[in-house]
Amino acid sequence: MTGTIQNREAFLSGIASQLGRAQKAQVEKPVWKHQPQRKVLTGASTDELLDVLRNQCEHIHTELIETKLVDLPAALDNAVKLYGGGPLSLWNDERFEEYGLTRLIESDWPAENIEVHTWQAELGERNVELAEQANIGITFSDLTLAESGTVVLLSSSDKGRSVSLLPTNYIAIIPKSTLVPRITQAADLIREKIDSGEQVPSCINFITGPSNSADIEMNLVIGVHGPVRAAYIVIEDC
Amino acid sequence: MSMKFSTKNFADRTKDNISDEFMRQAVAGAQERLHGRRLDAAEELGNWEEWRSHGEEIRQHVLENLDYYLHQLSENVAQRGGHVFFAKTAEEASNYVREVIEKKDGKKVVKSKSMVTEEINLNAVLEEAGCEVIETDLGEYILQIDDHDPPSHIVAPALHKNREQIREVFEDKLDYKNTSKPEELALHAREKLRQEFLAADIGITGCNFAIAETGSISLVTNEGNARLVSALPKTQITVMGMERIVPSFEEFEVLVSLLTRSAVGQKLTSYVTALTGPKGEGDADGPEEFHLVIVDNGRSEILGTEFQSILQCIRCAACVNVCPVYRHIGGHSYGSIYSGPIGAVLSPLLGGYDDFKELPFASTLCGACTDACPVKIPLHELLHTHRQIIVEEEGRAPISERLAMKAFGIGASSNPLYSMGSKAASTAMKPFTKNERISKGPGPLKEWTDLREFPAVGNTRFRDWFYDQKGGK
Amino acid sequence: MKVSLFITCLVDMFYAHAGKDMAEVLERQGCELSFPKGQVCCGQPAYNSGYVENSKSAMKNMIKTFEGAEYVVTPSGSCATMFKMYPEIFANDARWKDKAQALADKTYEFTEFLVDVLKVEDVGAKLTGKGTYHPSCHMTRLLGVKEPPKKLLAQVEGLEMIPLPNAHNCCGFGGTFSVKMGDISEQMVDEKVNSAMVTEADYLIGADCGCLMNIGGRAERTGKKIRVMHIAEVLNSRE
Repeated sequence: MTGTIQNREAFLSGIASQLGRAQKAQVEKPVWKHQPQRKVLTGASTDELLDVLRNQCEHIHTELIETKLVDLPAALDNAVKLYGGGPLSLWNDERFEEYGLTRLIESDWPAENIEVHTWQAELGERNVELAEQANIGITFSDLTLAESGTVVLLSSSDKGRSVSLLPTNYIAIIPKSTLVPRITQAADLIREKIDSGEQVPSCINFITGPSNSADIEMNLVIGVHGPVRAAYIVIEDC
Repeated sequence: MSMKFSTKNFADRTKDNISDEFMRQAVAGAQERLHGRRLDAAEELGNWEEWRSHGEEIRQHVLENLDYYLHQLSENVAQRGGHVFFAKTAEEASNYVREVIEKKDGKKVVKSKSMVTEEINLNAVLEEAGCEVIETDLGEYILQIDDHDPPSHIVAPALHKNREQIREVFEDKLDYKNTSKPEELALHAREKLRQEFLAADIGITGCNFAIAETGSISLVTNEGNARLVSALPKTQITVMGMERIVPSFEEFEVLVSLLTRSAVGQKLTSYVTALTGPKGEGDADGPEEFHLVIVDNGRSEILGTEFQSILQCIRCAACVNVCPVYRHIGGHSYGSIYSGPIGAVLSPLLGGYDDFKELPFASTLCGACTDACPVKIPLHELLHTHRQIIVEEEGRAPISERLAMKAFGIGASSNPLYSMGSKAASTAMKPFTKNERISKGPGPLKEWTDLREFPAVGNTRFRDWFYDQKGGK
Repeated sequence: MKVSLFITCLVDMFYAHAGKDMAEVLERQGCELSFPKGQVCCGQPAYNSGYVENSKSAMKNMIKTFEGAEYVVTPSGSCATMFKMYPEIFANDARWKDKAQALADKTYEFTEFLVDVLKVEDVGAKLTGKGTYHPSCHMTRLLGVKEPPKKLLAQVEGLEMIPLPNAHNCCGFGGTFSVKMGDISEQMVDEKVNSAMVTEADYLIGADCGCLMNIGGRAERTGKKIRVMHIAEVLNSRE
């Protein structure tokens, strides 16, 4: 489906004439004189990046849980119970299986009456309602930015935007291998996708801790429209 | 609300606000906190000046090639199934939004914070058309339910209100029964607004930066309201000032880093969201229809002039947060939705000198704004340029001042005249001088001595002493 | 070293003692002083009010007056800044552009000259008591002279320096702003005076007589007991 464009020509020719030239059909992006973003945490090892993330989590009101791969089910189970259990809203993500969470999701939680809803494209809007009723939303992090303590989520039909947004609490599972210095590397990832002919996802979320506001007397209130609490579980996978 | 929201003159507005003790404490406290946070966030990087220079070069390049990037943006938005409307004026923009909503038979509109929608008076247009419009940023929400109190800060719109005032508004308008604790107030707003988000048919957002190469728009918040506005309603309309654009994600990430550090001292805010087109094939959430409205409303007339650099602005309010004038008079004194140094430069450009000619003079040209700006807009120089145009080209200064300045031009360029004048001044001021002080000055001195002592003109000027000592070298 | 004094109109007429102090400090450092007679005002009052054309005659007068100088030294960060702006103001004036640049290049604010050119931080001053320093805006931000005054004050025997709260905020002088926008200026200067009082300092020290006239004039009017001193006075104190 292609969209429409209205009033463009007059608008752009007005701009060009204000700039005192003809409209430009081609512009090469310059090689920027300054590239400070490339100097942040360059050459840091994954362990050093984890140190940075650990420290940053203290500033963003986010609990950081570190676990070995074998202990991940127990760590996630603990975190879920700490936040009061189900209902849970999950992405439909093969990584849950890859990281050994299938039994927890398909047997252990249901046996304990913890309701689990995995996003299913064919359910359409029902997914959103279930996410809205969920106590905890759980996703993997596609890329994790150490400097800012940010998880990057690329949405798709299996990975709804609502999972990290509508539930009262949010847990991000972070494979240590997804750690990069900062948002610069997220831009690089997007560049790779574009260069390989992929489309940019319709929604990319950079999430840094729980939602908050300082609109009342500049007092920080944690938990406004998005989740009121957030936890990151980092898995030693490399 | 359109850009101008007050009919009082600047002096009266200032007087009103200076006597608002709470507002002044709130602003001073906020400034001090944000000042510290911003400095920490900048210092942490260790090379803040280089970051600023990078921000500046990106913004300058975009403005120089704005037609190209807007063309590229619109192509890519349409290619992803979005609709792009270029609006020359505020009316064109708000009418287009109204028409889209009417076509969708939309009734309930949720909005995330957007200065440009204030500028084009969008809410009033939509309300007139029978829509219910709900602001969802907590600060904006507070102002909206308080009978559309104007914003006093471009990032923290309700900065001028205290918790007790907010509690009263909530009690009055929302039947709120709890205390004035910010947590309880925010929770109440969360619950009220969650229902609105779920029921709304239309979501309207602003846009922090559009990304030309991918046809994306981005939203930067801490509350998450912009995510809800763009995830739940079936139709999303995004309104952007035409200059709020970057070439690609590489520049986007740099400007977002500058924005969040400068605005709130955070490395990134809780939510930075990049949206491309309407929802994808098979997506269960996200809008079915996406419209991007690109607004000129006077901006193109700034291009190619000595004020072009003001369009580099990324709306972080760092200049507002360091301004010693804003500190004492607050946002409402400016009479424009854009307050502080950025407002004092931008409001006369977008709204004209008739309404905003005092603003460029409400500055000591101390340069704190220029120093704080993450994209190196020479704000105090632009204020000065306004002054020059106002007095030299527009001839709007009082005649007495113009004559005085003319006399200055003559007197201050000639030593004999100055010498005579400064000597005579000593004699002329004698009757007003007591204990080497002038407490009640005559003529133009009165305004000074109304507030402060004025030093007596010395019997011996420095030059007289020097020649006495050195024998007239 | 030959130094031409650019004394500023404010010092010439109202604060001659600060000028004398500066002259004596410089002489003690071995400078040979001159006072080019034609100097009047740098043009800032008119320029900042928007009267750029009206201010140019004053600027040209200054350019001519200091043409033969080797170093131009002034007890005002703000007026030094104005000299530094001349090249830009005359950028499109072939006749004055280069001369304006030459003047800008050899102009120094007093403390900057001591620390950066003469390489001296201890001028042998003695002053007993507590001081607090107001960094004036033009000097700090536009001229970029931040450290020299602090370095010099740190060496003054007997003087204990106490940080001024919110020192970065303007005192509310701003030339004609102080009278045009009196209501606002009053609030700004009151806050500055109060900040200084909080430090319980005996001396409020600054390097620009405009700011000092504003802060001192207000302190005196409101009965606040603090002695306002130009940094040259402090550096020339011998007790």
